[in-house]
Amino acid sequence: MTALTQERPAVLPVLRRLLAEGRWGLLAWTAGVAAAIALYIPLFPSMQTPELAGVLDSLPPELVRTLGYEDVTSGAGYVQATFFGLIGFVLLTIAGVSWGAAYTGGAEESGRLELTFAHAVSRVPYAIEAWVALLVKLAVLGAVAWLLVRLLDGPAQLDLDPLNLLAGVTAWASLGLVCASAAFAAGAATGRRLWAIGVGAGVAVAGYVFEALANNSDDLEWLRSASPYAWAYRSTPLADGFDWGGLALLWVVSLGMLGVGAAVLSRRDILG
Amino acid sequence: MTTAIQTRALTKRYGAHTALHDLDLSVEPGTVFGLIGANGAGKTTTLRLLLDIIRPTSGEVRVLGIPPRQGGAALRRRIGYVPGELRLATRGTGRALLSHLAQISGPVRPGAVERLADRVGLDLDRRVRTLSKGNKQKLALVQAFMHQPSLLILDEPTSGLDPLVQREFLTMLREARDAGQTVLLSSHVLSEIQQVADRVAVLAAGRVVASGAVADLRLATTRRIAATLSRITADRLHALLSAVDGVADVSVTAAGAAGDTVRASLTVRGEIDPVVRALMAGTLHDLTVEEPDLEESVLDLYARAGDAS
Repeated sequence: MTALTQERPAVLPVLRRLLAEGRWGLLAWTAGVAAAIALYIPLFPSMQTPELAGVLDSLPPELVRTLGYEDVTSGAGYVQATFFGLIGFVLLTIAGVSWGAAYTGGAEESGRLELTFAHAVSRVPYAIEAWVALLVKLAVLGAVAWLLVRLLDGPAQLDLDPLNLLAGVTAWASLGLVCASAAFAAGAATGRRLWAIGVGAGVAVAGYVFEALANNSDDLEWLRSASPYAWAYRSTPLADGFDWGGLALLWVVSLGMLGVGAAVLSRRDILG
Repeated sequence: MTTAIQTRALTKRYGAHTALHDLDLSVEPGTVFGLIGANGAGKTTTLRLLLDIIRPTSGEVRVLGIPPRQGGAALRRRIGYVPGELRLATRGTGRALLSHLAQISGPVRPGAVERLADRVGLDLDRRVRTLSKGNKQKLALVQAFMHQPSLLILDEPTSGLDPLVQREFLTMLREARDAGQTVLLSSHVLSEIQQVADRVAVLAAGRVVASGAVADLRLATTRRIAATLSRITADRLHALLSAVDGVADVSVTAAGAAGDTVRASLTVRGEIDPVVRALMAGTLHDLTVEEPDLEESVLDLYARAGDAS
């Protein structure tokens, strides 16, 4: 049983509560990520056939480029195209955006923020702790993904370098953090959960679409510079390792959104 | 000693709508102050301003001597708050929620939560989501009282509570006052405020329409009386009642199968003693004395203010 007393103010009470309450949800998302990896990755050896190469050759090159399947015959290309660039990206975006929206707009709509802010919690510390909770949960999903792909590397004949895999997972989790932070900032600024989800999902979709358009047209190449998806994956981290420039961009944008969200939250009225 | 709560010309606007207009409020430490008003009168806005949940458009606020925004978390550690619209959707138990809230309150003495839960009859091991409105309200009371704050700010604290718990709550308020804590509570139930508050302010449409010591306000001097009698004729009773000072809206009708009983209803301003004496002319079978609802009292207050000017 938890003691209901304390002599000093507790350390990071918001972060600890969000993590404690979110543990079952995190477990479910972890299972989802694990299932996706377990479903796609082991298929790689059976995809290494002349027939598949023929199919890919027969597809319109625009489609292949949009799907990111140009390099699908290498282990790194396959894992990127099937998991990190597609299903894993979708899963992580949904998880991150729903958490970011729940910690700000959702908490405000449910009346929970009012009760929290009526106690000894200030708004900027709340925003920082809640954002760190996002970060921790995304890091857990990243760690699980790294471990599982690593375990399947031998059986699935992926031949991925462990450090490059870490680079790919970091890019993936950082991309998720940008989308989650966008939802977080929108929720913190508006107090509305739907706005938060809309903005978070919008950033994810726009990033993906910009990248796909840039892949297919040299005239639209500039769109890539506005796409978080491209910042994460433009230099194929699974094959070539850490892209520090891209990661820095993802982190600066995420922290910037935390800053904007916290600043607006600390200045406005909490909705009743 | 610092005034527990002091506001000067406190105003809150939402676009064109003024929720609170030039509020001047002064609550002395160690007293119970009641804020009365109908829904939308500005009670909740006032209380949320004191906690820095919302910010004033203009005017000054000091809570325990400090402007709320400046006082921040350290100031709120010394305040216990029951929100007006309580929506607790947590999955965990009441105990888990209170444990978290204790971490972000002032220090909570060992056993304080259990003692309070026991007093209001709250099961701490039930999941918060499954609690009834009344039980959620008990949870809100426990978290407001558990750290024995210098100041209790309670927005409609008894809503949803059954009468026994309401009584226990009023006892808790008196104990808090005796322990030197200050209480500001809002309600639209006049009798509750009258039972426990030292001073009151009546809000209507964002303005204070009356304030002062409860006894001085004589808010509920108008009462509605209904009685059933026998051994008296309707005409005689009507004449007797109409002769009493302050009586209005007299209606007396014959009732009962044989026409041997009469039913009377009236409103009276001021003492009810002469009315009861007049009723004793017959044999009294049933008597109800109703307090008017708050809206009527406030309207009455307006009317009297108009008469006086």
